[in-house]
Amino acid sequence: MFLIRTLHKWFGLILGLQFVLWSISGAMMALLDHHKVSGEPSVRAPVPAIAPAEPLSLARVAQAVGGPVHGLKLKPLGSGYVYEAATPTGVKLVDAVSGQAVAIDEVKAAALAVAAFSGSEKVASVRKVETGDVETRSLPLPLWRVEFADKEQTTLLLSTTTGEVLERRNNTWRLWDVFWMIHIMDYTKRESFNHPLIVTMGVGMSWLALSGVILLFRSFRRQDFAYVLDPIERIRDERKTRKQA
Amino acid sequence: MRLPALARKTHKWLALIIGVQAVFWTISGVYMTAIHIDTIHGDHLVRAPDQRPIALTGLVEPGSLIPGGTRSVKLESQLGRPVYVVDAVPGRMLFDARTGELLSPIDEAAARERALSHYAGVGGVEKIELIDVAPSEIKNRAVPIWRVEFTGLWRPTLYISPLTGELVAKRHDLWRTFDFVWMFHIMDYEERTDMNNALLRVATWMSVAASLTGAWLLLYSFRRRRRARKKAAA
Repeated sequence: MFLIRTLHKWFGLILGLQFVLWSISGAMMALLDHHKVSGEPSVRAPVPAIAPAEPLSLARVAQAVGGPVHGLKLKPLGSGYVYEAATPTGVKLVDAVSGQAVAIDEVKAAALAVAAFSGSEKVASVRKVETGDVETRSLPLPLWRVEFADKEQTTLLLSTTTGEVLERRNNTWRLWDVFWMIHIMDYTKRESFNHPLIVTMGVGMSWLALSGVILLFRSFRRQDFAYVLDPIERIRDERKTRKQA
Repeated sequence: MRLPALARKTHKWLALIIGVQAVFWTISGVYMTAIHIDTIHGDHLVRAPDQRPIALTGLVEPGSLIPGGTRSVKLESQLGRPVYVVDAVPGRMLFDARTGELLSPIDEAAARERALSHYAGVGGVEKIELIDVAPSEIKNRAVPIWRVEFTGLWRPTLYISPLTGELVAKRHDLWRTFDFVWMFHIMDYEERTDMNNALLRVATWMSVAASLTGAWLLLYSFRRRRRARKKAAA
């Protein structure tokens, strides 16, 4: 027991700070509403659309794309419909009625973001992201970054090729993400929780917790529970004497 | 009460309440960090998607399948043949892109064939069934769904949609164990999804208090040996 106490003490000295950090970051993540973190309230459900009765023929799609395709979608985009073709050189968008190539430029990206945003606030900024940061994580670059002027500074990240909203960020997420970084100990990319440092720390911390639980058996005496046990015993004694009488 | 005694007493009582959960937290944490998340997701269980080009000539026009009721259409390869996955007003459907024939809902043989074409592990199909109630490992997915279990290590299971023929989910025992320890980690013992439950909120702040009182206790737990020896000598 002395050995376990010594080990608990020294593990506590070396790993204690991380235990405090894990507890605080865990507590904060439990406190921040996960629906808000993932930006659910800022999502405007898309209006169900019906594809044009006679979309562009496949022959004209093939002509407009001008190369082999390994996948093709007919899908709503903005107020109209497009064909989205997956080709070896990337994704190509073609208007499903006119056959014109559709480019996701700054104006188009902003319009798509507004349509996907439930708030009434205006767009604060539109920017093309060429180099990744903690907000864009491992999303394919470049991206359109559309930030709104709401309190949460809601930011939508849109694909420059398909126009899809790939990710949502907001201030609750930004705060949450700091605690996430502390929790998973990936201080640069905030992405991976599978690295040697955290596994080593986790094993050490398991021992800290387990040795603590073992020590509990030696740390409590009857006296610690006297305020519960004394009345119970008194009642028991009274019953005994009553029976004998 | 003197400060060291107060520190010891608060640490001891907080630990009595939170200690076992701290063991759960750390052990579940080790499991989740030690096994790579891609392995948990079962990425190794399936082959990379078919990227061979699809010839558009001779295919049925996608707008003609459900005229006036189509929401979206996807052309892809299933079992090496071009198919249309249609999201329409009546529901989701699968068509042969060459003949326009309706393929959905797909039968057992078609589901088995698709599962085998995705599966990259060893072993054959152990069991295949169409299930009407989604088990907890694929909750929120549409049913009925084809459940295809393989004989390989850790009960690899693929779920195939009868409406679209697509692979919907892949599971194996490493995933199932992850889900189980995740339940202990976030203390949501019912749905295993709510990270903001009251129990977790209270427990985590108790853990903060327990760890801080532990740090406080450290102040009284170490002695400088040399000075102690000098005193003994004097």
